[in-house]
Amino acid sequence: MTDLAGAGPRPHRVDGKPDAKDGNKPAEFVPGQPDMWAFVLFEALVFTSYFVVYMIFRTRSPELYLQSQAHLSLRIGVFETLVLLVSSWSMARCVQAARQGAYRSALTNALLTMFLGVVFLVAKVFEWTRLIRMGFGFSSNEFFSHYFFLTGIHFLHLLIGFVAVGVIVYQLRSPARRSQELVETGATYWHTVDFLWIVIFALLYVVR
Amino acid sequence: MNALIKKRLLVVWLVLASITLVYLWVGSVDPASAVRPSAVVTSSAIVMALIKVRIIFREFMETRHAPVLLRRLTDGWVVLMAVCLLGSYFFGMAIR
Amino acid sequence: MSAPATEAVSPLEAPSGSPLHRIAWHWRHNPKRELWLAWWTIVAFYQLFFLVFFVLTRTQPPPSPGWDVARVVQWFHHHHYGLLIGFGIMFLITGMTAPSNALIAYSMRRMSVSPAFAYSYLVLYSLSAIPGMLLMCIALTVGAMRPDRDPELISWLYDFAFLSFVGTMGVFLIGSLVWMLAILLDRNRVLPKWFGYLNLCNALTEIVVSPAWIFKTGVFAWNGLIAWWIDMVVFGLYTGVFIFLLRRMIQREGFGTGPLPDLAPTKETDPSALAETAQ
Repeated sequence: MTDLAGAGPRPHRVDGKPDAKDGNKPAEFVPGQPDMWAFVLFEALVFTSYFVVYMIFRTRSPELYLQSQAHLSLRIGVFETLVLLVSSWSMARCVQAARQGAYRSALTNALLTMFLGVVFLVAKVFEWTRLIRMGFGFSSNEFFSHYFFLTGIHFLHLLIGFVAVGVIVYQLRSPARRSQELVETGATYWHTVDFLWIVIFALLYVVR
Repeated sequence: MNALIKKRLLVVWLVLASITLVYLWVGSVDPASAVRPSAVVTSSAIVMALIKVRIIFREFMETRHAPVLLRRLTDGWVVLMAVCLLGSYFFGMAIR
Repeated sequence: MSAPATEAVSPLEAPSGSPLHRIAWHWRHNPKRELWLAWWTIVAFYQLFFLVFFVLTRTQPPPSPGWDVARVVQWFHHHHYGLLIGFGIMFLITGMTAPSNALIAYSMRRMSVSPAFAYSYLVLYSLSAIPGMLLMCIALTVGAMRPDRDPELISWLYDFAFLSFVGTMGVFLIGSLVWMLAILLDRNRVLPKWFGYLNLCNALTEIVVSPAWIFKTGVFAWNGLIAWWIDMVVFGLYTGVFIFLLRRMIQREGFGTGPLPDLAPTKETDPSALAETAQ
């Protein structure tokens, strides 16, 4: 795979913060490619529109949504949220480690992130199977349409997240390729998958 | 990796995890009583979620160190979400 | 047409003067004329596309899949002439998609990545016009042609038309992914990376359209808030953006082989200078 166009490692001090322009506070920098941030904000807006549609339709038939929601397991939802939060934590550690040149630590954290992503996937598939066995599918009723749609499209984003982490792992493994910008770009994407889930969880599992 | 940074990230995670655990209490439904729409539960669920999102932006995604524009854009989105989600909920409930 | 720079110091000077005179000069001398012709074709095509689908035939926004047979027949009667004339125009101008796809493929050839990207895109998009657009035009024209046909058949044509138009997003989404990959791997900075990611957004919102095959009402039906409206907003933005970016690409093009120079006409990218070196 050809090297993705990216900058080299950012200059850093011993404590890991980027060099300050004045000596007082750390310099401002955009983590990763600004292009990825543009994508994150745009996707966030698209998701906002999906959420608003869900909320409005929810308020039109509250009883139906409440009854259907009761079949979801809050505990599994909380578990999944915690898993993704840990994965974001390990991803943030990965970025910091890479920034300071501790590439083995960074690699370990990246692989941990990937592993936690798989845990989430398994939990999600388990949840879906359980619901389908109970007789609730995508077209069962309005609530479940939204449920499977939102969790499904999030699942898709998570799969793309594996590609992002894969790129990070690939970059970290070889001294010739290491690009701090790419590591941060992939991390930005991964955190997006996390924070989108946080909202989805609140809207589907908790909101009444 | 610097101990200070490690500690900070861990504290951030602890805060996020704690807020998540609060959901177990907020979102729990007493199986005996009838389930009704609740503005309190809804609002607190959304607000807690957006607090977590902002913490992720600032600490994990490092917008604390980002140029002003990026900080404003991400904070702006959080505000937009609050307005849209709470607005659509209360508006929708009001016109029923 | 971009205004030619008039500070070129060569006998082959881009003229100022009447638009007709300038267009004639560019047609004869500007080495980018094929690129500009392709670009203007894209602009013209999408204007006509909008006119045909949104105004003449009123097939966008789509009518509801939840209608019963009688209502569907009524829709056909109501739009009889709009359908026949609008799609008649569409059949004439379908060929305009060719320069459009060619210019996009050209952008990929100009990149540092393998030509396979450009070729895959061309094949994909050449084929995709059939399910993605023409099937609907044909089916609805057939339905409108004989208004006294069996209503069940008309209803069948209606379903077939709209499902094929809205539901076959797969062909387009793979093309978007090909372009995205090419842009992200490219070292010649032909198109900005954020546009590569925008291709991903476009592809994802197109995937969201697939539930249209299941639902006859609601937000996931072929006319639904999520399956059509939000998807259309993203697609409209995406199209506007790539038309703008292709224009900038052509302006920056210096016909070299390395990275594309930035915008701001320089001696290398000025049409008269290029024309002179081409002589």
